[in-house]
Amino acid sequence: MTTLKDVVARRPIAATIRLTVPAGGARPAPPVGPALGQYRLNLMAFCKDFNARTQKYKPDTPMAVTITAYKDNTFEFTVKSPSVTWFLKKAAGIESGSSRPGHVVVSSIMLRHVYEIAKVKQSDPFCQHMSIEAICKSIIGTANSMGIQVVKDL
Amino acid sequence: MLPCRLRLRLLKRSLSLQIPRPSLPLVITTRLTAVKNLSSLFAPSPQRSFAKGSRLPPLLGHAQRRRERRFFCARTMEMDDATSSNASLFSSYLSVRIRCMKRDVDTLSEALLCFGASSASVDELSNCEELDEIWITSIFPDGQDVDACVSAATGSIGLNYKPNYEISVGEQCDWVTNVQEVFHPTEVTDGLWIVPRWRNPPDLQATNIILDPGMAFGTGEHPTTKLCLLLLHRLIKGGEHFLDYGTGSGILGIAAVKMGVTLSVGIDIDPQAVASARQNIALNDIDSNRMLVYLVPSKASLPYFNSRTQENPEEKTLYDLELGAAKENFDIVIANILLNPLMELAEDIVTYGKPDAIIGLSGVLSEQVQQIKEIYSLYLDNISVFEMEGWACLYGTKRKM
Repeated sequence: MTTLKDVVARRPIAATIRLTVPAGGARPAPPVGPALGQYRLNLMAFCKDFNARTQKYKPDTPMAVTITAYKDNTFEFTVKSPSVTWFLKKAAGIESGSSRPGHVVVSSIMLRHVYEIAKVKQSDPFCQHMSIEAICKSIIGTANSMGIQVVKDL
Repeated sequence: MLPCRLRLRLLKRSLSLQIPRPSLPLVITTRLTAVKNLSSLFAPSPQRSFAKGSRLPPLLGHAQRRRERRFFCARTMEMDDATSSNASLFSSYLSVRIRCMKRDVDTLSEALLCFGASSASVDELSNCEELDEIWITSIFPDGQDVDACVSAATGSIGLNYKPNYEISVGEQCDWVTNVQEVFHPTEVTDGLWIVPRWRNPPDLQATNIILDPGMAFGTGEHPTTKLCLLLLHRLIKGGEHFLDYGTGSGILGIAAVKMGVTLSVGIDIDPQAVASARQNIALNDIDSNRMLVYLVPSKASLPYFNSRTQENPEEKTLYDLELGAAKENFDIVIANILLNPLMELAEDIVTYGKPDAIIGLSGVLSEQVQQIKEIYSLYLDNISVFEMEGWACLYGTKRKM
């Protein structure tokens, strides 16, 4: 429970912005420009910071960023790894999931892929308390809902 | 998503280039970045050549436009031939305001992003506790089917009502002016100020660098820029040759000239950066002999560059001669870019320096310092590290081979 002192100490929030930006490719142009410009945030600082922090990802992977803009024109942001569905699509080599998941199987991936995806996801802020096993299970669940089959060996 | 990507690719815009002439009042140009080809990160942007004094009609549709690619020539002298007009090209986007219940806000924003929105922002209205509904402002690329996206998003999260929304077309100038208001004069060190073009310098006696960064990096406020400027301040004694690798707005090159170097050269792979740097050189009244800016091809666009110069072989020889001769010619080289380019281009960066030249590197976070040190210790001696606010700057002396 946050105490009253914490609430007062926190800066007043002006807005929450969610964006998809390619890793290492933040530029002061749409989509970043208008979204941040609206709240008069320092675009250049965000672009440089974001690009530096996403250097370890392959260029142009779409990263989900959540920016908290404060009323005094400062901001903080968290970068999340790409969505599980995006990883699965890449691993399976397909563009979109199955139109009839559960009935029609679009593609298949190996258990090894699931493990690799789980390892990347574990560095995500909201997955850190989960065990690799638990993350793998949730990835397999997502794969099933997309019509991707998980096999042990191809 | 694919049709959207194809449309984005088709919507390549050209640069607007404004060369400030002393007689005309300076106008804030609204710049466009070329929408990047998603497969190659550094595609050079196409450009139009404008007839003198004519106004370019606003872009109406990608189908109507002929794509004229005119490669950005190297020398500043040739820029005077490339006439420009006051035309500014607008890249528009769709701004959609969606109304929904407070409890669905988070899930709806995420869903919108999955189905084609570029961004979703929610205003925090703490004084509207009584209201159940809240607005999401979402930005879509021009030409996107907003209705389909919104329906898909609401369907995927199981919303039992269709949220109301209104679409408006946003223009580039709307948010560019907002961003420009944020810049204030900053004092980097004693007697060195960086002043945006639209403000007055607070201290007229100090060394003032006047900047109009436009869409290029380098406003002077970022810790890495400050670190590099402080490094220059320490190193420059007068009369050196300085190379700004990845010049952005040209700030480091201009600062070096003001601190006393004889020749300052800036190179960048982004045509907008080159344009912005040239504009800033003119703003600061720097003689075009003391500072030059070049557009260089990145690795990805090298085939395009080569094919282009095959059509015009004089360009290639000019480029080869000038920049080729520039290798091993500089006393100070500073590269303020990012970790990955620094690591890949290490050899390239270092070859520009004379033996015993000082090579400075920045644009990296403190945690990335070790990786840079490992790669550059092959080429540099005595690597020192400076840090500010989580960002780091390294420099060392080039080893004699």
